[in-house]
Amino acid sequence: MQAFILAGGFATRLWPLTEKRAKPLLPLAGIPLIEHLVRDIPEDIPITVSTNAIFKDDFEQWAKSYGRNNIRILIEETKSDDQKLGALGATAQWIERQNISEDVLLLTGDNYCGFSFDTFLKAASPDTTLIAVHDIKSLERAKQFGTVLADDTTVTGFEEKPREPKTTLVNTGCSLLPASTLPILTHHAKLHPDNVGGVFEELLRQGKPIACFAFSEPWFDIGSFDAYIEATKELVGNRIIEEEGASIEQSEVTGSLVIGARSSIKDSTLEHVVLFEDCIVEDCVLRNCVLDKGCILKGIDLDCKMLREGTKLLQNK
Amino acid sequence: MRYRILLILWLLTDLCVFVASYALAYFLRVGFIFSTDFPFEPYIHVVALTAPLWLIVLMTTRTFAITRSQCTVRNLAYIAYSALVGASLFALSYYFLYGLFFSRKLIIFALILSTLLVWVWHVLYSRVQRTLLRKDPPTFPTLIVGVTRESRKLIEKLNKSANPLKPVAVLDGKGCKDSEIDGIPVRGKLNKLDDVLDEGITHLIQCSDQEQSLNLLSACRQKGITYMLLPSVLGIVERDEKIETLEGQPVTMVSPKKNPLMWFFT
Repeated sequence: MQAFILAGGFATRLWPLTEKRAKPLLPLAGIPLIEHLVRDIPEDIPITVSTNAIFKDDFEQWAKSYGRNNIRILIEETKSDDQKLGALGATAQWIERQNISEDVLLLTGDNYCGFSFDTFLKAASPDTTLIAVHDIKSLERAKQFGTVLADDTTVTGFEEKPREPKTTLVNTGCSLLPASTLPILTHHAKLHPDNVGGVFEELLRQGKPIACFAFSEPWFDIGSFDAYIEATKELVGNRIIEEEGASIEQSEVTGSLVIGARSSIKDSTLEHVVLFEDCIVEDCVLRNCVLDKGCILKGIDLDCKMLREGTKLLQNK
Repeated sequence: MRYRILLILWLLTDLCVFVASYALAYFLRVGFIFSTDFPFEPYIHVVALTAPLWLIVLMTTRTFAITRSQCTVRNLAYIAYSALVGASLFALSYYFLYGLFFSRKLIIFALILSTLLVWVWHVLYSRVQRTLLRKDPPTFPTLIVGVTRESRKLIEKLNKSANPLKPVAVLDGKGCKDSEIDGIPVRGKLNKLDDVLDEGITHLIQCSDQEQSLNLLSACRQKGITYMLLPSVLGIVERDEKIETLEGQPVTMVSPKKNPLMWFFT
């Protein structure tokens, strides 16, 4: 089996946090999002991370520092959103160029799945595609995802981003594709290079069996600022995560707080805040905020803001 | 550099226009001769002394700002106000230097002529200046952030009136289907901001994406770019906003529409 992680997006909705880093490398609860996925994939499964040329160095550096020797970074030669190969296109290209003839664990790099991959893989049956599904309990929200109609564990229907969803069970970007389905995937990718969910519709159309693995553990699609904050709240809880060299003095903290390496907080009130590295916060009231690297805030009140790297806001008294 | 040369030239020519308008007032009053009763030389000497002071007063009205449109009543009012101060300074200086008062009619002529000639000159000069400043490469390449109906109108207006702020690129936080707006390329979403700003942008006008104000401002501060914000981003759409201060703290103010005279007091 091979694992293939899609990490080629430009994550424009998470700008400015993704201005200089790929979304899967965004720290979530103190560690890069992709690490939450990778650390749970059995050691014997080789992992290929597909990304674009812009984030090549960052991913290579991450892979090196992570220290697992069977991670390979595959570079999609694109430098902007409009040149993108498409998620499915990138997968198909990898399958064809590497002559992949094994089962493929296909993952989207911007998703956090709370379940164990061991359990997921154990649920697989030979020659049957397996999709991890989660009940998001909102038909409105389901419009943004691929929805899965299932009869117990057998998938009977799949609709990618339906206008009127029939179910709240959604595809979570984690699937296991048996080797026998790969030719269908590569053929479908030629027609719809950006529609990963479309493969499942095509498999069903061709009568190929698909099973679903429903889980109740947390799942987050980190596609927006709100989703990022929600995921942080859920994973960090009412704790403070302090990275190396971080400090906090005379401050009031409610909810979750992540303080990046060498960041300092003084005389402030914080509620659900994430500080990346080298930030300085003094005499501030921050709620639901994410501060990118090197931000300096003094005497500022902010609510629901993402600040780009190096932002300086110093209130003149 | 182009802008600095044009600005210096503008200031120097303004001084000349001011002196010329007073000279013309002299000849209109005394006839096209050099009068012995009211000698021209001391008169023009005082005008030359007054001119730099008048220019300073005019500069304080920000008439020379690149964002100022010269062909407006408001601008004419500023020029008239400066001319009035100039005429007063002239009369006082003449009295202080020579202990004399002179023709009230001449003062009125000088006031009217200095107002009108300077205004006409400003209108003409700004047209030439705008053309030269927009020549490629433009002196003030401007980035528009946000595609809305208002930003489309703004781009069209800036282009139509040959404003010195020449839009060269458009970005939109959520992306937009158009590839260009009034000939200006839509370059994509905000993830391209850094690349576009590094192309020598001098001004950024935010027309939507309110949630990104802090980040756009931060990017402008880091790169020494002038940041501008359309009031409509804050929901102020009726063009009745004012920037005031409350005990030194700047505030954007929108007052209820009352008697127009109350504008002076509220």
